[in-house]
Amino acid sequence: MSSPEGSTTAETTAARCLLCSVGCPVRALRVGPDQYVPDYVPHAGYVGLCGRGSVLVEWLDHPDRLRQARRSGDGGRTLAVKDAARRMAEALRVAGSAVIVADGNLDVDTLAAVGRFARDVGARWTACVTPGDAGLVHGLDGSRAKLVGPEALAEADAMLLVGDVFAAQPVASHWIYAARDAHPRIPRLVIAGANTATAKFATAQFEPVLVDGAAAAALAAVRTGSAEGLPAEARGLAGWKEQLAAGQHPAIVVTAEGGYGEARALAEAVAALAAETGAMVCPLTAYGNAWGAMRVAAAEGGACPAEILKPGADVVLAIGCDLVSAYGAAVAGPLLDGAGDVIYVGPMPNRTSDRASLVIPAAFAFEAPGRALLGPDRLVEFGPLMQPPAGVPTVTEILALAGAPTGAPAGAIAGASTDVSAPCRAPEMPPSAAGRAGDGKGLVVALASDPVHFGDGSLTSRAAWPRAVRPRPVLALAESDAEAAGLTDGHVAVVEGPGGSAEVEVAIRPDQRAGQGWVTGAFAGVRDAFGWSWDGARPGEPVRMEVRKA
Amino acid sequence: MPVKATAAQVDRRVVLDLDRCIECKSCMAACFYGHGEMAGVQFVDIGPAVLPVVCRQCGDPACVEVCPAEAMTRDDRGVVARGLFSCHGCGSCVRACPFGVLSLEMTGHQVTKCDLCDDRLERGLEPRCVAVCPTKALRFATVDEVEVQGLTVLGGRIAGDHPIRRR
Ligand code: SF4
Ligand code: SF4
Ligand code: SF4
Repeated sequence: MSSPEGSTTAETTAARCLLCSVGCPVRALRVGPDQYVPDYVPHAGYVGLCGRGSVLVEWLDHPDRLRQARRSGDGGRTLAVKDAARRMAEALRVAGSAVIVADGNLDVDTLAAVGRFARDVGARWTACVTPGDAGLVHGLDGSRAKLVGPEALAEADAMLLVGDVFAAQPVASHWIYAARDAHPRIPRLVIAGANTATAKFATAQFEPVLVDGAAAAALAAVRTGSAEGLPAEARGLAGWKEQLAAGQHPAIVVTAEGGYGEARALAEAVAALAAETGAMVCPLTAYGNAWGAMRVAAAEGGACPAEILKPGADVVLAIGCDLVSAYGAAVAGPLLDGAGDVIYVGPMPNRTSDRASLVIPAAFAFEAPGRALLGPDRLVEFGPLMQPPAGVPTVTEILALAGAPTGAPAGAIAGASTDVSAPCRAPEMPPSAAGRAGDGKGLVVALASDPVHFGDGSLTSRAAWPRAVRPRPVLALAESDAEAAGLTDGHVAVVEGPGGSAEVEVAIRPDQRAGQGWVTGAFAGVRDAFGWSWDGARPGEPVRMEVRKA
Repeated sequence: MPVKATAAQVDRRVVLDLDRCIECKSCMAACFYGHGEMAGVQFVDIGPAVLPVVCRQCGDPACVEVCPAEAMTRDDRGVVARGLFSCHGCGSCVRACPFGVLSLEMTGHQVTKCDLCDDRLERGLEPRCVAVCPTKALRFATVDEVEVQGLTVLGGRIAGDHPIRRR
C-alpha cells in the first residue's frame, strides 16, 4: 500500500538537505496527524535525493526526539527550557574553563550567535565537521583555484575525481553524468579505492596506499609526471595531467575522507594541479555547511578542535553534535569524564547526551529558516522542512533565553576566497604527518564513505531505512587478506584496533589493494576501535587493525 | 477492481540502465519510505556491481498464480500488487518469481512488492525510485522507448549495454 495523498509542507518549500554539500531540496508529505514521508516531486532544482536525504523526514516525528529539558540526578527531573537555558549560561559563566562545540550543520547565523555567546560567557568554542571537511576547506579556501558547485560539472569535458564521490555525495553524480552524456568519451580519471562505486565508472583509476599524504602524493605525481616513491602502478598517473588539460572545461572533483592533515595536503595538491591545468575545482564536503562552519569559526574566534577537546575543561557544552561518536571515545571520553558539568543541546539523544548532566531539546537546523554556505560562494537560504515539535525551541531561541547578546547575522561569509585556516594553525594540527599507520601487524583500515549513513552515524543509526539496509558495519578487504584470516564473503569478523574491537561484516573485493581495508565509519563500536587521539592517529585517520573470525 | 491474471500488461515498467547505476540505494530508500517502510526495490550483488532489481510487472505473473490467499493480484491496468492485509507471508510468490525480485519482510511477515507507486501515477508522477535516481539509471519507460535509446532490454527488466560496460 503506498502512502495516501496528503498535504505537502508548502508548495514553495525551499528546505534543503545539508547531509552533504550538494544541498538537495527536500519536501515532506503529511500522511498522518504526526507522520511524514518524503515527497519526491520535481521542484526548486530537485534532481534526485539520496537515501540520507529521505531519512531527514523521518526525524520530524521520530519517537526518540528530545522534547523536554532534563537534569541528571533527582531521577532525571524535567525543568522548563528557560530555566534550563539560564542554568546553562550560569554554569558556563562561573566555570574556570568552559568549552562549546557546535554542530557544523547549524545554519551560519546560529553559528555566529554561538560564537558571540561563547565570548560573552568566556568560553572557547569550535564548530564540529568531519576532520576531512575541515582539512579540505582549509586547504582550498585561501587558494587561487576556481571553486565551483556540482552544477558546473555538467559543462566539464575532462574530469579527475578524487575520493569516493558517488558514495559521499550521491546526487553530485547527476551533473557528472550530464557531462558524460554531452561528451561520451570524457576522461574520468579516478583516485580512490578500486572497489568504490566511483572507480567503477573510471576510464583510468589509481588506489593510493592508505598512509598519510599518499593521495596528495598521487596528485603530485599527476602534476609532475614522476611517480617516484609510489607503488609501481602509479606510473600510469603520468599522462593524466595532459588528458585533463586537453579539455576545454576540465574539472577536478574532490571529497575528503580520512584525517585533517591528509585532507589539507590533498586540497593543496588539488589547487596546485588546478593551477597548471586550468581545471575548475568542485570541492564536496560531507557536512553541507562545512564551508559556512569554517568561515564563521574563523570570523567569530573559534579555535582548533585539537585545543578545545583536550581534557581540562570544567564545563562542556555540545550543541547538536555527538562528541563521543565524532571524535572517538579516546578523545572525547577524558574531556567529558574530567568536566564537572556536561550540557547537551540538541534534537536527538546520543552518546554525548547520555553523559550530560543537563539536556535541553532543540530543533533541527532544517526546522527553521536559515542560511548555509555549501561552498565558498554557494550561500543558500532555506525554509523549514516542518515546524519543530510543540515546545521545542531553536538553538537561537535557547541562546536568547540564556541571555546571549544579540548581534548582526554572520558577516560577509560568501564570496571571494579567504584564508579561514587560522583556527587550525595550532602545532597540534600540522598539515600532514607521515605514516602513522606505518608498519606493523594487521591491515591498515580507513573509514569508507557510505551513501546510507551520515557522518558518525549518531543520527542515522536511529532511522529505519539505514538500520534496515546497513544494520552493521561492512569491512571491504582483498581476497588474499580474507583468505589469510580464514574469512569468506558475508562472514562476521572482528576488527581489533588501538581503541578496542568491533564486529563487522566481511565484503571481499577482488580489485582491492592487499594489506588495506575500508570499514563503514558510521558505527560507534568501529569508531571506538580506531582509538584516535591527539598523540597517535588523529580523528578520521586510518589505523592498523587485526581482523579475525568472530 | 483487481482481477487475477487476465488484464492487459502495463506499457511502462521500471527499467535499469546498467551503465549508470552508482549503487547509492536512493531508489530503495524512496520505496521504503513510500511504502510503509517495506521496500519493493531489492539489491543483488552480481560481482562487478550491486544492482537494484524491480518487479517487471509480468504479463503472466507466476506470483499471482501461486498465491494461495489471492493477496497478489493484477489490476485492470496490468499493475501486479500485493494486498497488504490479505498477505499471509507464506513466501510462495517469493519462490515462484522467476526474476527473484521479491523478498519476505521478516518483521511484518509480509512480502515486499513494487506496486509501481500507483498513488503517484494517479498524480501524473513517476514511481518514487525513478524520481529520486540521481543518474537516471532507473527509467519509467516502454520497451520501445528504451530500445530507441540504444539500450538492450535484458529479461524485460534490466536494460543496458551488454556485457556491462563501465570503463
Ligand atoms: S546528495 Fe547530499 S544533499 Fe543530496 S540528499 Fe544526499 S546527503 Fe542530502
Ligand atoms: S537510485 Fe539510481 S543510481 Fe542509485 S542505486 Fe538506485 S538505480 Fe542505482
Ligand atoms: S513479482 Fe516476479 S513474477 Fe510477480 S510480476 Fe513481478 S517479476 Fe513477475
